[in-house]
Amino acid sequence: MMSQRRGIHLDQSELLCSKGCGFYGNTAWQGLCSKCWREENQREKQKQIQEDWALAERLQREEEEAYASRHQRAQSQPTITPFSKFEERKTKEKSSKVNTVTKFFTPSTKTPPKKDATNVEVQSSSSPSSSTSRHSSLDSDHATREFIDFLRPLKPGKEIFKQCRAFTEGMVYKRDMSADELSECVQDFYQNLSERLHSQFKGSTDHVESIMDEVEKYMMTHLYKEVFCPETTDDEKKDLTIQKRIRALHWVTIEMLCVPVDEEIPEVSDSVVKAITDVIEMDSKRVPKEKLACITRCSKHIFNAIKVSKKEAASADDFLPTLIYIVLKANPPRLQSNIQYITRFCNPSRLMTGEDGYYFTNLCCAVAFIEKLDGQSLNLSSEEFELYMSGQVSPQWPQATGAFSCSSSSTALSQVHKRLDLLTGLGERQERVMEKARKLESDLIDWTDEVEQKVQSVLESFPAENQSPTAGTASGTASAAASAIDSDNVENELLPPPLQPQVFAG
Amino acid sequence: MAAGGTGGNSGKTYSFKVVLLGEGCVGKTSLVLRYCENKFNDKHITTLQASFLTKKLNITGKRVNLAIWDTAGQERFHALGPIYYRDSNGAILVYDVTDEDSFQKVKNWVKELRKMLGNEICLCIVGNKIDLDKDRHVSVEEAESYAESVGAKHYHTSAKLNKGIEELFLDLCKRMMEMAQAEERLKGNGASQSASSRRGVQIVDDEPQATPAGGCCSSG
Repeated sequence: MMSQRRGIHLDQSELLCSKGCGFYGNTAWQGLCSKCWREENQREKQKQIQEDWALAERLQREEEEAYASRHQRAQSQPTITPFSKFEERKTKEKSSKVNTVTKFFTPSTKTPPKKDATNVEVQSSSSPSSSTSRHSSLDSDHATREFIDFLRPLKPGKEIFKQCRAFTEGMVYKRDMSADELSECVQDFYQNLSERLHSQFKGSTDHVESIMDEVEKYMMTHLYKEVFCPETTDDEKKDLTIQKRIRALHWVTIEMLCVPVDEEIPEVSDSVVKAITDVIEMDSKRVPKEKLACITRCSKHIFNAIKVSKKEAASADDFLPTLIYIVLKANPPRLQSNIQYITRFCNPSRLMTGEDGYYFTNLCCAVAFIEKLDGQSLNLSSEEFELYMSGQVSPQWPQATGAFSCSSSSTALSQVHKRLDLLTGLGERQERVMEKARKLESDLIDWTDEVEQKVQSVLESFPAENQSPTAGTASGTASAAASAIDSDNVENELLPPPLQPQVFAG
Repeated sequence: MAAGGTGGNSGKTYSFKVVLLGEGCVGKTSLVLRYCENKFNDKHITTLQASFLTKKLNITGKRVNLAIWDTAGQERFHALGPIYYRDSNGAILVYDVTDEDSFQKVKNWVKELRKMLGNEICLCIVGNKIDLDKDRHVSVEEAESYAESVGAKHYHTSAKLNKGIEELFLDLCKRMMEMAQAEERLKGNGASQSASSRRGVQIVDDEPQATPAGGCCSSG
């Protein structure tokens, strides 16, 4: 608005393209006309690409030998793989290639804010998809800021940040790699960095660990979109498989798994619910460490449930079945993808020896158990198992044979009875209300009839003798009724005539 | 790649992972609870769980972090073993001296561990519940000769009387440290080689995808 208004006072020449080509310019295009702007923009983009390319080259220099060896393999590879598979891969490549190109021109999540700031104007108008990536980059920007804040007081902080940023940016160019190779890259980076921190900067083990935690957080927040459930793997298929499997196993009970948890106790059922919530929450976190923290919290709730039920510290003999039960009840979203993601990109030292690692291992065990579950492992005959799996029979339903199921079903039954009683009571009351309503209705009809009769009889006994001739048709009946009432008065005639409503035609 | 011996000479702190294997009810949990918290059948439980416990030790001036992983002993979870003992430095195989069957299970575990991990793992075979010696069903000679034949060490313990447990863990730690040191010396020669070979593998597999990506970058 402002600029427009001011524009009126501007010289004609200032509205023209600043390149002086004679066409009108546009402030949105930095004062250029559309043609010049396109040229300028193209040049800018080209420059950006070249910069990025140079960066990529620099980053991959160390791996040049590796690339060379890979090229040698290039000739032999296609002949080995069956043609159909090769073709499939090729199409996959194509689609991802398109992605790469668009990715290239957008301010990707990996571009650090500093760089973003200079190119913001150019890039934001250059690609339609930039708005989406911009949205997700908010998180990454936040992570970057936190990371910088964390590193600031550290002596090697600048160095660490530079390395991490370079690596994270470099990962964009590796997005066509298989997940295992990406994992290998990240793990190598973790290892190299922590070794350097140990030897070069003489950090204590705990200190290095805490730095590595932050490094992991920063890097994985930036890389999450690329490396979580990547399209080069069949993680997604596995997710669906385990999800279906868990759904099919909905009939598995606490008793079949020998879970030492008594859900009748309020505190226990509370812990069970919390554990389920935690394991589901895992999917919403981005950083492997935070995902692990969810599993750990879930495990702690399970331990609490066992401890309250059994009155002793939980051993693995109790823990694993309970965890299996929780996973069956929760059916956590994208379970396999999450497990794979953690395995691939978590700091290895934590996974191998830490407490988080132990719980994570147990979760892997639980998933493995659920995948291979058969009748034998639930103390069922294979026929029973098949029947339950096919959904023909449900174990909770029939003959409540076991003592446990008896007690649980009896409480359920009593609850059902209570509800039924309530329902019948409600029904009766409603019936009564309806009856009364009907009675009221008939009473009303009777009353109106009665009133009508009375009016009729009164009208008959006092015919409209003193009907005033001036009464209009509209007020005729009203005046008649009024005179009928008035007729009860004895000294009727002595009173002045009633006031007549006057009609003003307007 | 081994979890143990983080850093070696410079790190000074070793961290080891030890798995507890054995049938249910042989006293795995009691054993480790006794060792880490010095508790047996305590009515006043302060520990929330006894399935993952850690202990910090100082052996001949070297710091050692021990992480002890309990495993579910029920037969139906047997197949999950490999997930548990992956990357572990030591395994404690517990049997009940009054239960012949549990000793058979230990033998099965030993076979499996040697097959899967070779000699990279320190094995301890532990006969627990020696306070119930009068009901003993596994002879001392048989157990010890078996242990020797498979390159494992044999211990007799009682979690109830707190016998032999301290020795068991101390011995195991020393053996794991020796193993880690030996590995470091080996790594001194072959470290760079192994790293490069790993990288080589990584590049071989990604080939078909990465080459066109490079082409696209240069053309764009």
